[in-house]
Amino acid sequence: MGAVSLPSIAPVDHGAETHPSSGSLAPAASTLDQESREWLRGLRADGAERDAAVARLHALLVRAARFEVGRRKHTLPHLRGNELDDIALEAADDALMSVLRRLDDFRGASRFTTWVYKFALLEAAVKLRKRAWQGREVPLEPEAWDVLATASAGPEAEVEQREVLHAVEDGIANALTPRQRQVLLALAVNGVPIDVLADRLDTTRGALYKTLHDARRKLRRHLEECGHAPLETEEH
Amino acid sequence: MEQDTTLLLGRLLGPTGPEVGCDRCFEELDRYVELELAGVDADAAIPGLRAHLGGCPACREEHESLRELVAGERRAA
Repeated sequence: MGAVSLPSIAPVDHGAETHPSSGSLAPAASTLDQESREWLRGLRADGAERDAAVARLHALLVRAARFEVGRRKHTLPHLRGNELDDIALEAADDALMSVLRRLDDFRGASRFTTWVYKFALLEAAVKLRKRAWQGREVPLEPEAWDVLATASAGPEAEVEQREVLHAVEDGIANALTPRQRQVLLALAVNGVPIDVLADRLDTTRGALYKTLHDARRKLRRHLEECGHAPLETEEH
Repeated sequence: MEQDTTLLLGRLLGPTGPEVGCDRCFEELDRYVELELAGVDADAAIPGLRAHLGGCPACREEHESLRELVAGERRAA
């Protein structure tokens, strides 16, 4: 089973969380498109009809998982084609279990195929990120401090950016809890994938993102207290 | 290098506005992608999801994959 089992992506934050995640804004089942209705009917049938629908669903998930593996195989140049395909097949198997378990969650907010694809893509992406970090140490805090110090000392940094970076360093050191500091530095500075860090810290992706979100809010507040105007940022 | 510093600050400080979390993002991702591909204002329909994609590289990657997969399938249909 994929380590990010889907229901474990914990609830996160505030702000835009204005309606429940149960899909209350989704159309009623009566508005499902014909193809989606046929999928549901087959998967809820008995015997051979259900078996055939599950086999078709599995084939669909394999295709989506292979698509994801194909997109990301450059991150695992040491893996051979059959190893990559094993990952895709395992992801499809895990996605199949998730989809069948959560069939009643499908409300027709999208086509059924689009809904199931996301399960396969998630499972494949998580497995590939973890495989890429298998056996690697997660960088520790001192390495992140070096990155920050280099960035804020470099001649290329504009004066204003340098001041902001110094204030950020101060905020990380003094305004965050040890856990928030650890998570922020690992994810935002050292580039550890969130699924990998969740595994190492024995938590969930959603819980980690909540910690990251809280740390970022504290940092922004610290910058404002230091007299810096609110920064418009775009992470990409 | 200046751009690197800007990106570093972006990763440290995250999105400016309210955002949903990873859980909600996953729940809504299929609807969001279909709205995008239909040319509908997906950001108005699902507030906070775009901001989350800006702050969460993993969800961003999964959004890009789903969008590309579904768009490619529709082009081929």
